[in-house]
Amino acid sequence: MDTIKQIEQLILQNKVDIFLGYKDLDGHLIPHGFTKENLDELKDLQISDNRYSLEKVATHLTEKNPDIKIGIIARDCNKRALNLLYTWNQLNPENIETIDVNCCPSPLKSHSDCSYLEPRQSGEFKKENGVDYNIEPEAFMGKFDNNERLTRWMYEFNKCIKCYGCRNICPVCFCKECSLEHPNLVEPGTLPVEVPIFHLIRAAHMAGRCIDCGLCEEACPAHIPLRLLYREVNEIVSNVFDYKPGCSDEKSPFSVLGGDVVLEPKPMDFKYKEKNNGL
Amino acid sequence: MDCKFVPSVCSYCGCGCGVLFEVIDGKINSTIPLKSHPVNHGQLCIKGWNLHEYINSFMRLKTPLIKENGSFQRATWDEAIGHTASEFKRIKKEFGPDSIGVLVSAKITNEENYLAQKFTRAVIGTNNVDHCARL
Amino acid sequence: MTVKRIAFVQELLKFIGLEGRLHLEWISSAEAQKFVEVVTNFTEKIRAMGPNPLGIETVANGAMKYGHN
Repeated sequence: MDTIKQIEQLILQNKVDIFLGYKDLDGHLIPHGFTKENLDELKDLQISDNRYSLEKVATHLTEKNPDIKIGIIARDCNKRALNLLYTWNQLNPENIETIDVNCCPSPLKSHSDCSYLEPRQSGEFKKENGVDYNIEPEAFMGKFDNNERLTRWMYEFNKCIKCYGCRNICPVCFCKECSLEHPNLVEPGTLPVEVPIFHLIRAAHMAGRCIDCGLCEEACPAHIPLRLLYREVNEIVSNVFDYKPGCSDEKSPFSVLGGDVVLEPKPMDFKYKEKNNGL
Repeated sequence: MDCKFVPSVCSYCGCGCGVLFEVIDGKINSTIPLKSHPVNHGQLCIKGWNLHEYINSFMRLKTPLIKENGSFQRATWDEAIGHTASEFKRIKKEFGPDSIGVLVSAKITNEENYLAQKFTRAVIGTNNVDHCARL
Repeated sequence: MTVKRIAFVQELLKFIGLEGRLHLEWISSAEAQKFVEVVTNFTEKIRAMGPNPLGIETVANGAMKYGHN
């Protein structure tokens, strides 16, 4: 395959010290780091349908050795994650080489390599009582009123088992001291987790960071539609601050203290006066 | 620098979810779920996500310890094994084999678990052996 | 930064279904009259909206209705 030749060239010409790709092991495609010492394993390299968070591995390697040069197989979502990590100074763009691979199918590509193309179907009970996986945020806002939305989201959040899987697998989560483990915000050691504050803390931290890869939803054992929640967060950030994470080199609006602020606090709305008939 | 992923099975409960250990330079760095595993399909509970913590924990014992006068003192392997064996013999003689119970662990290998239960049943002569994952 | 965060959280709460319970106002310590007005208005507004639906009873009822323990 051409990709293998390209990677081999990159390693032999010392442009990368280690290349992160996938390898077949007894039918499971798992991530692997290819180096000069084990070049002969390159023939096993495959582009996997299963997606793993290779950017997170790159941040771990960079933590231990800040000058290491890393090559990565990159789909669109990986490229967005890498861009975002550059703006947050977690990775150095000069040390990263990407080999682009197929993403979603299009007339330009012969096949696709993404596990998110077959999204999970929501069953009947989930659609009636909870939040459908595949609904769009505007459709969700339009279809249900305040109370209904709250009941449905509470149904979903109540299933959480506090496994921290969504945070552990997220490629852009890198804080050393996570707010979700802060004893003043989230009571340590209690189950079930305090809904909805746990998920709202996470959603607030995903503002300006989430690149919509969908790994969190795939890792959630309680089938909470996290991608929908973070898609809404991205829409809010896009509408209010005109910022799309991972698509450009600008820093997130939440990372800059002070600066030019053009927002005004919203005035209070006095709908209650009409309800009370002016009493 | 060297980075590879080693597939394994979670050692905590009886479900047996597939995990991948991220091994950097020969040391386990983190744990992620194995997406193509038939049991868990890429999802883990909080115990599975933290399998790497106890392997390199600073709290692990480095030498055998024997309790003397209410506090633990360092000992050699020979002293520790000799002390344990003589105590087992004494208790078995005085109170009978059924007064001894053995609890094996999810954090040791299957082979060690087998050895422990064989020891309990054949050498000590009691059925009182159990495992934390049975709860 | 506060304005950015509050604007964002107001929209997020609207999505979840807890609309209109968060408000931001800049008041100096010399503007006592304005402070009184804002707090009274907001209290009346919240009173008209009713108690927070996330009271313990609602959560417990929801959990019982859908079969969680």
